[in-house]
Amino acid sequence: MSEWTLYAQRRWAGKRVQRLEDRGMLTGATRYVTDVQLPRMLELAFVRSHAPNARIAAIDLDAARRTPGVHAVLAHADLADVHPTQDFVELEGALKTPRITLPADRVRYVGEPVAAVIAEDRYAAEDGADAVILELEPLDDDEPIHDGIPGGRYFHQAAAHGDVDAAFARAPHVIGRRLNIQRVVTSPLETCGIVADFDPASGELTCHLSTQMPHLARAALAESLGIPVSHVRVICPAMGGAFGGKEVMLPEYLCAAAAAIRLRRPVRWVEDRSEALTAGAHGKEAEAEIEAAFDADGRLHAMRARFESDTGAYSSGIGAYVEFMVAAFTVPGLYDLDAYAYDTGGVVTHKAPLSPFRGVGMTTSQTLREVVLDDAARALGIDRMELRRRNMVADGPWRTVLGEDYEPGSWRTAFERALELIGYEVFLERRASQRKKVARPPRLLGLGVSPFVEAAGLGSAGGAGGLPGTSHDNATVSIDLSGRITVAVPTFSHGQGHHTTVAQFVADMFAVTPEEVRVLDGDTARTPFGMGTFGSRSGVFIAGTVSRAGVIVRDKLLRVAEILLEAAREDLELVDGAVGVRGVPARRIPLAALAGAAHFAPHVRAELGDPTLTSTAFFDPPRPTHSNGTVAAIVEVDPDTGGVAIERIVAVEDCGTMVNPMIVEGQIRGGVAQGVGLALLERYVYDETGQPQTTTLAEYLLPRSTDLPPIEIDHLETPSENGTAGIKGMAEGPASATPAAIVCAVFDAIAPHGASIEDLPLRPETIAAALAAR
Amino acid sequence: MTRIAIEVNGATHELDVPPRLLLADLLRDRLALTGTKIGCAMGACGACTVLVDGAPVRSCLMFAVQAGGRSVRTVEGLADDGGELRPLQQALHEHHGLQCGYCTPGMLMSLSPLFESGEPLEPETVREAIAGNLCRCTGYETIVDAVVEASRR
Amino acid sequence: MKPSAYEYLAPETCEEAVRAIAEHGDEAAVLAGGQSLIPMMNLRIAAPRVLIDIMRIEELDVIRDDGGSIEIGAGVRMTRAEREIPEPLLGKALRHVGHAAIRNCGTVCGSVAHADPAAEVPAVVLALDGEVVLRSARGERILPADEFFQSYFTTAREPDEIVVAVRIPVAAPRVAFLEVTPRLGGSTGEFATVAVAAAAELDAAGRFARVSLAFAGVAERAVRAREAEALLIGAEPTAEILEAAARSAAGAVDPPADVHAGAEYRRHLVGVLTRRALTELTA
Repeated sequence: MSEWTLYAQRRWAGKRVQRLEDRGMLTGATRYVTDVQLPRMLELAFVRSHAPNARIAAIDLDAARRTPGVHAVLAHADLADVHPTQDFVELEGALKTPRITLPADRVRYVGEPVAAVIAEDRYAAEDGADAVILELEPLDDDEPIHDGIPGGRYFHQAAAHGDVDAAFARAPHVIGRRLNIQRVVTSPLETCGIVADFDPASGELTCHLSTQMPHLARAALAESLGIPVSHVRVICPAMGGAFGGKEVMLPEYLCAAAAAIRLRRPVRWVEDRSEALTAGAHGKEAEAEIEAAFDADGRLHAMRARFESDTGAYSSGIGAYVEFMVAAFTVPGLYDLDAYAYDTGGVVTHKAPLSPFRGVGMTTSQTLREVVLDDAARALGIDRMELRRRNMVADGPWRTVLGEDYEPGSWRTAFERALELIGYEVFLERRASQRKKVARPPRLLGLGVSPFVEAAGLGSAGGAGGLPGTSHDNATVSIDLSGRITVAVPTFSHGQGHHTTVAQFVADMFAVTPEEVRVLDGDTARTPFGMGTFGSRSGVFIAGTVSRAGVIVRDKLLRVAEILLEAAREDLELVDGAVGVRGVPARRIPLAALAGAAHFAPHVRAELGDPTLTSTAFFDPPRPTHSNGTVAAIVEVDPDTGGVAIERIVAVEDCGTMVNPMIVEGQIRGGVAQGVGLALLERYVYDETGQPQTTTLAEYLLPRSTDLPPIEIDHLETPSENGTAGIKGMAEGPASATPAAIVCAVFDAIAPHGASIEDLPLRPETIAAALAAR
Repeated sequence: MTRIAIEVNGATHELDVPPRLLLADLLRDRLALTGTKIGCAMGACGACTVLVDGAPVRSCLMFAVQAGGRSVRTVEGLADDGGELRPLQQALHEHHGLQCGYCTPGMLMSLSPLFESGEPLEPETVREAIAGNLCRCTGYETIVDAVVEASRR
Repeated sequence: MKPSAYEYLAPETCEEAVRAIAEHGDEAAVLAGGQSLIPMMNLRIAAPRVLIDIMRIEELDVIRDDGGSIEIGAGVRMTRAEREIPEPLLGKALRHVGHAAIRNCGTVCGSVAHADPAAEVPAVVLALDGEVVLRSARGERILPADEFFQSYFTTAREPDEIVVAVRIPVAAPRVAFLEVTPRLGGSTGEFATVAVAAAAELDAAGRFARVSLAFAGVAERAVRAREAEALLIGAEPTAEILEAAARSAAGAVDPPADVHAGAEYRRHLVGVLTRRALTELTA
């Protein structure tokens, strides 16, 4: 076989192609789980605990069962044969807390589901839920939240790389910083939901589910419900955002499925916003502390970091580990350390269980590290950017103090570019001049910069920030008898436009147009096994699997062409959806005819041997990709009210070769917006008795259009050496780097006035109090 | 049950509805117009926004019985019958003003009267017009750019 | 989040409405714009057995301007009020209420009757020394705003009364409305942490002839900073006087703490907003 490159043409990949997904969304035709209507479908509403820590003294379902419109009410006893949710995390020493679908005798957080009411519609189901009599007897605070987990600490790990103690002992300057990272809620616009449908004739369970990991959800449903995997199908209609909150198998899903099986009617549960805020996908909460050891020239030699996650009531599932583990492993960032030690772990508490949330622990480590660098610069009297320059690694491949190998990237270039775009020098002059003119400026100005690196596309070899894991992804490329290409991918788009980027990629492999490529995702009956979409992995895994499967199928097509054209491979070219002989325009065969021949021409089939035009390919990357960039922000702080306005945000991004720059920019802007929320607005609050205080969107503040400035973007491109076609994973970098830029900017504005803050988010009240306290 | 006559996307419906049925649920469940979404049930997120007598309104904060005798327009009623996208929809498409699409119907309905006014629009005006519509994906900017640019065509 | 069942009544005259509420008393709730009531019903915090929808009553959907004061009927929606009412302070405040879609449905009188201590409209009505018109089977009552607002979501309205109108004098020529929220860049809309509605008239010598400062979000109801006002009457708006007024206003409140803000911060904001409002009034 002569050499054929990945792309037959370069017409679509790299271009700002408008999305194929859009029409349905713009016309209201796109269907999400909440829009799925099945005949005879019933609706489910949960009865949830109103106490954070209590014994279930009694639960009386009679009145509920007799409520008009109610078909069934289920509690623990009814679901005794549903196994606890699967916990895929295998970390030595991790103490597990199995998650039973509906608890038997104890509740551990406000909002924990205790009973399920299934009725004609949601109105009747809630009437039924109101009629359930739930008697809870509060337990003492010192009652262990789970047996066998003393102090609630279910995991702890400490390690040192290099001689940390010696580095600290000889450092003339040690700067320390603590931050209390607040609890947040992932809050996609579309909440969680499931429609479960059981066919008693075939024994097949079909779940329409809003999930980031269709095949893993299928396995988890099968395992817990005791149904063979072969008899479970997960269909994901369009998903309205996820950001990590739709990875885990929720007890609510199992409950709905069990109800559908029992009642032999489809059952739908749609999480309402109250449920999402109170008992849904919480994220981030942790105590974070760091010490950094500097010499007199501002050279950073070593760091020590400590993290403790407040995990909520259960430690089962990935959400219980990704915060503190990823945080510990990402502290060094782009800085050249001689030594680094971490101490990291989590405790279970009487709050909703943590979920992964975009950026996971990277957000915390990034904020903590960049803040302490600014602190150090102020303490040592060195310019903050100069301090970073003295310690940032040069562009190019690099091995970190943790032994992680970064592939080449534009670490320094992105940093300098961001400084140039935000106008760092101009800003310093402007502020100096403002201070000269007015003793008490009406607004305090601050600037923050956050250079980041993001490892993505982690396969089995890489794990994820210290978390071992195995990865299995496939894609299937098929050409049907009409010559149309169908690609089934192992990922699932929650809004990232995968259908478009895959179509662009495949269109260039086969010299067709994106509209001619059909992309399938999210349905376990129509896609091969894959791990789904999370951790910025999709670009890498789609490119890796699709390219491999696509090349095999394309090779078959070319063989058909060789037979029909009686030509040698090296004389063939694939142009405009047809294979022809180079230099002989008359001799061209369109894909449709090639496919037709492979299906129906006996002599072609005989020569081919295997005429199938379909291939499923597996890809497990041996090395991750590393994208990078820098977010910079200028803020104005009102010293009287503590109010913050963001004057400008700049985001420089290098995610290697971009398939669709427009989509990449969308991910950057969305990530930056979420970062603003984390830095300044969002917090989920429990009072001292464990009662949630921020239970509606009036208290839990998501960023609005009027909170955000335009986000200026610049791209660099260092093609990936580890990813296919130069593609690097992206989308969590800017999200996890933005809080650091904003927090550093605010601290830059208020630190000269002696104000210091440990608690995030930086609300106006927090800032005003810090300024008043100096 | 209360009998109401309601016009939705130009078609009149006579329906018997329980008083507590929200307009959003009438549209979604009784009329199968699932484009309108319920995001928070308290008016904060804007995903349920429809036009009632030409004005953007939260359909999660209106009972169907209150809409009797009124004229309602949903996102399904925007594109013409030929399926051509209206300029506002086309503008969002061209500027990547949507990602997961869940907030999009509410955005379109909140923007529709302003855009239909035909005035060239400033970015601040557009930001203000969608200040009641939450988007968790886009950061709003491409939506604003789309509307500003399209208003100037 | 679906509401409980209720009986729906849609009277077409005020008399019918008054009869209905006389019959059902505190088992009934009045439904006007619904932008405060329906969220509570969706959350099942409120579950009235009867709703009396007053939005079909034509006689309530009126704005009457008799030159000295404006009467806003209970059927008047906020967007219409923003557009049509010449009284500038109300218009300034309404821009901050929720978002446009909320104002398209919500009514001015609805906000008055709901009496959220953090709401903008009650503060404006109080600042302007407005009056609330109540009607029942027993007749009509007119209460000064300061008597009408009592405590958290609590007013002097009897269970068998309906708020049918609010009357506001046309404001003194100088008005200011300022609001602090947790959001960025001074964005308007949504909920206030603390807000001030202010009106003033200066005499020929530039001294305060009349001034009123009403605050939302600092007590169990909207309140006037009467001591600060008294301090200002007859005084010139010097920096020292404004500072004294700010300190007086801040010292006079004992704000509650809740998830949105603590007491100290609210008190601090009273001082800040007093200073800023008075500066704007006297610019």
